[in-house]
Amino acid sequence: MKPIGVLTFPGTNCDEDVFKWAGHLGNEPKWISGQDHFEPKDYEALLIPGGFSYGDYLRCGALAARSPAMEDVRRFAQAGGFVLGICNGFQILCESGLLPGALVRNEGGLFRDDFVQLRVTNYFKIFPHLSDDKIVRIPIAHGEGRYTVDPQELKKLQDEGQVWLSYADNPNGSLGDIAGISNENKNVFGLMPHPERAYQPWMDSEDGRFFQWKLSSKNIV
Amino acid sequence: MEAQLKKYRISSAELDLIRAQLGRDPEGVEWALYSALWSEHCSYKSSRRHLKKFAGTLKAGSQGGENAGLIDLGKDEKVIFKMESHNHPSFIEPFHGAATGVGGILRDIFTMGARPIALADFLCFGDQPTDKMKSLYKGVVKGISHYGNCVGVPTTQGITNFHPAYQKNILVNAMAVGLLEKGQPMISSKPLKKKSLIVYVGSKTGRDGVHGAAMASESFGQDLTSKKPNIQIGDPYFEKLLIEACLSVAKENLIECMQDMGAAGLTSSSFEMAAQGQIGFDINLDLVPQREADMEPEEILLSESQERMLLLCDETNLTGVQKHFAKYGLEAVKIGDTDPSRTDVKLMWHGKILTRMEPKHLVDNAPMYDRPYERKANAVQSEKKPAPWPHPALREWIYRQYDQRVGTRTVRTASQSSAFMILPSGRTLGVALGCDPWLTNEDARTGAFDAFMRPFLNLTIKGATPKGLTDCMNFGNPEKPFVMAQFVDSVETFTELGKLLSVPVVSGNVSFYNETEGENIPPTPAVGIIGLAETTSLPFDELKSASKQVYLVKMPLEKLIEQKENLPEITDSLRNWVTENKPASAKLLSRRTWRESLISLCSERSLILEKSWEKQLDFPTDLYSIVFSVKDEASANSLKAWGQKTGFAVELLGTAAPGSQLRVQTQDILAFKDWRSAGRKSLEAWGL
Repeated sequence: MKPIGVLTFPGTNCDEDVFKWAGHLGNEPKWISGQDHFEPKDYEALLIPGGFSYGDYLRCGALAARSPAMEDVRRFAQAGGFVLGICNGFQILCESGLLPGALVRNEGGLFRDDFVQLRVTNYFKIFPHLSDDKIVRIPIAHGEGRYTVDPQELKKLQDEGQVWLSYADNPNGSLGDIAGISNENKNVFGLMPHPERAYQPWMDSEDGRFFQWKLSSKNIV
Repeated sequence: MEAQLKKYRISSAELDLIRAQLGRDPEGVEWALYSALWSEHCSYKSSRRHLKKFAGTLKAGSQGGENAGLIDLGKDEKVIFKMESHNHPSFIEPFHGAATGVGGILRDIFTMGARPIALADFLCFGDQPTDKMKSLYKGVVKGISHYGNCVGVPTTQGITNFHPAYQKNILVNAMAVGLLEKGQPMISSKPLKKKSLIVYVGSKTGRDGVHGAAMASESFGQDLTSKKPNIQIGDPYFEKLLIEACLSVAKENLIECMQDMGAAGLTSSSFEMAAQGQIGFDINLDLVPQREADMEPEEILLSESQERMLLLCDETNLTGVQKHFAKYGLEAVKIGDTDPSRTDVKLMWHGKILTRMEPKHLVDNAPMYDRPYERKANAVQSEKKPAPWPHPALREWIYRQYDQRVGTRTVRTASQSSAFMILPSGRTLGVALGCDPWLTNEDARTGAFDAFMRPFLNLTIKGATPKGLTDCMNFGNPEKPFVMAQFVDSVETFTELGKLLSVPVVSGNVSFYNETEGENIPPTPAVGIIGLAETTSLPFDELKSASKQVYLVKMPLEKLIEQKENLPEITDSLRNWVTENKPASAKLLSRRTWRESLISLCSERSLILEKSWEKQLDFPTDLYSIVFSVKDEASANSLKAWGQKTGFAVELLGTAAPGSQLRVQTQDILAFKDWRSAGRKSLEAWGL
């Protein structure tokens, strides 16, 4: 089996957490430097952890989106590979156009750390443990997590079933309570909350375990 | 001469000392060197004599004297921690002042080779939400949140006090805790007696913070805006890169020693290192990476630009060091050499010698004052009023802006009265803070006793053993004998309790001159204690579903002070009860009314009080009142037995039941959700 690539940029700070979580779920994680190119064929899936890539200068995720490794992430995604971006990783995917919309300053302007309840709004085969309407409880920690997108695109997201996760009690003013979305092809996923912070008994919730993916043959790059 | 003394904040008596050392008047950059290193902030000239007492608390497995203190927890786990003030800068520029306070305390940790794993903060604001105070409050919190979140270190504990005496002089203290990874030796700041390279790493040197240390050693008048250029600007992204780069050269064993450039920047780091190692330093100031082209040597020496470190390495390791820093996009520049055949520091500027100076003049032989101290006759004993502690919503507003779980070590967050972080061994490291200005203001000794005992008890009732202490001694003007007495009383109290309870005082910081327009702050010796628990199953503050009967343990402060010598036995046996009986919840009540203190336990469970409590609810809680909820009768009986043995009252307070109400028998007193929404008023008053 090929390893799972975990991308790290200067300023990424959830990299170790995501690496440990992925390993704990039974995957074989391997580091990928966001500043260099990599060979997409060498990986089974790609994870983009959270943090403050390039200090969040310009806009969150904007500089990382233009890094060499993201060109290869794009090739990987276009070939059907599974990509999951968490928090800043979600912002990077939006900035690079792999996911529609943008994540902007929270309503109220403040960083927010909390546990939230998420509703699974659409079931994807790729996440077999996240059945439709399931409620999961995992933490958020972000200042720029308010999802926004133009009305036509929102309608398309909803019609095509790309809205993956919604907040039960919207913490940041996200449009349509959106906490996570997928691309049209349903192989690239982003979410603001942190499943990698909830998978051990002492973490207050173990619901982060439900996010283990199961790939099908069309996800093999 | 008068003008020089004023500019460099040197007294005429100190000038006489300088003349005696040099045999002449100081010249050129020497003025700046004396000004910085003999400032209160760098030299601890008013406090040094007393701080030496802390050495008496040290024992095997603990170490002070470095950038931060070290406690060996066994199982190859060593913790490094320290608390530090950034009061003056934060009052002038709250956002950057608080942010750089966080950056500075983190550097004290990773300069020793330890990875920072938790931050905590201790804040004191005025109690009047004036426009100025509101902007300070918001700015400080935003600064801490901005820096800590970005750098990727969770802020998991904090205390916020409101008191009228901080209206013109707020306090911002930050504590950082780091962990030396398995097998990683501590990196000292003391050079070896050998020829090495002096290497500058991190951010370029700019004009920010010049004379910052001297500024922090003065009282404030009304003219504050003129001090803005003294304030440093921090960049947490840069610090994150610096952490990773420094830890990687430490891990690869490429460096000999390392020191961060904090107060008085390059001056203090280089002269203190040279003095410690008794080794000659040759530094070419023109080689220091500079942000601006036309900087003067004096500005380079005194700059307090952030995110910079000085390290020594063997010549053969320079390329290796540079490679590691380059990986993070950082420069590592050789700016000089050490010379084991000498002991002086030679500063050069484009080949010209600016000065040669024995560092011991500036460091070891800096003035040490025995300032007179005399206690003020005690103010009239104030009536037992509840301290006007604000609604917990204000505190929650703060910690919800801090990332509490990055690094995935957090077992208990700032929502609890002690934070706990998981260690590689599976044990947990507790962090608790203390100091209540309403108490210290009445009597410094009692207040210091409480500043020590509250975090000590907070850890104890969770089943953790306190292991070490750091303090941030915030006081007024030490030239006033009553202020000096408050300081001495606090140091002596910590020393006495540290020895008695085996809690070494391993690090800390003194911040004097918290005086604005002649008004001094209450004595504020903030304490941070770390503790060790064997488990991750720690009691929460609030009642939980396993809670059955709820007991109140009364440990009157006065009685604890009287029976000081029994404290080890009392607290050890209480801790043993906790670890053996695993109470569902444990909370040392805050100094609010009973009603307010008890409702805060009812987020997930109702508390049904005994009838006798009805009339007491509006009275303040007694120091110390501890509420335990137990799972079964056997636990309750053994707690009662503990009470009989130690002589402290253990009373049945009530029972826990489904819901989230405070009740007396069948009568509803307050619903948790109503208490929470009452918090909105406090938030509105503060414009939040």
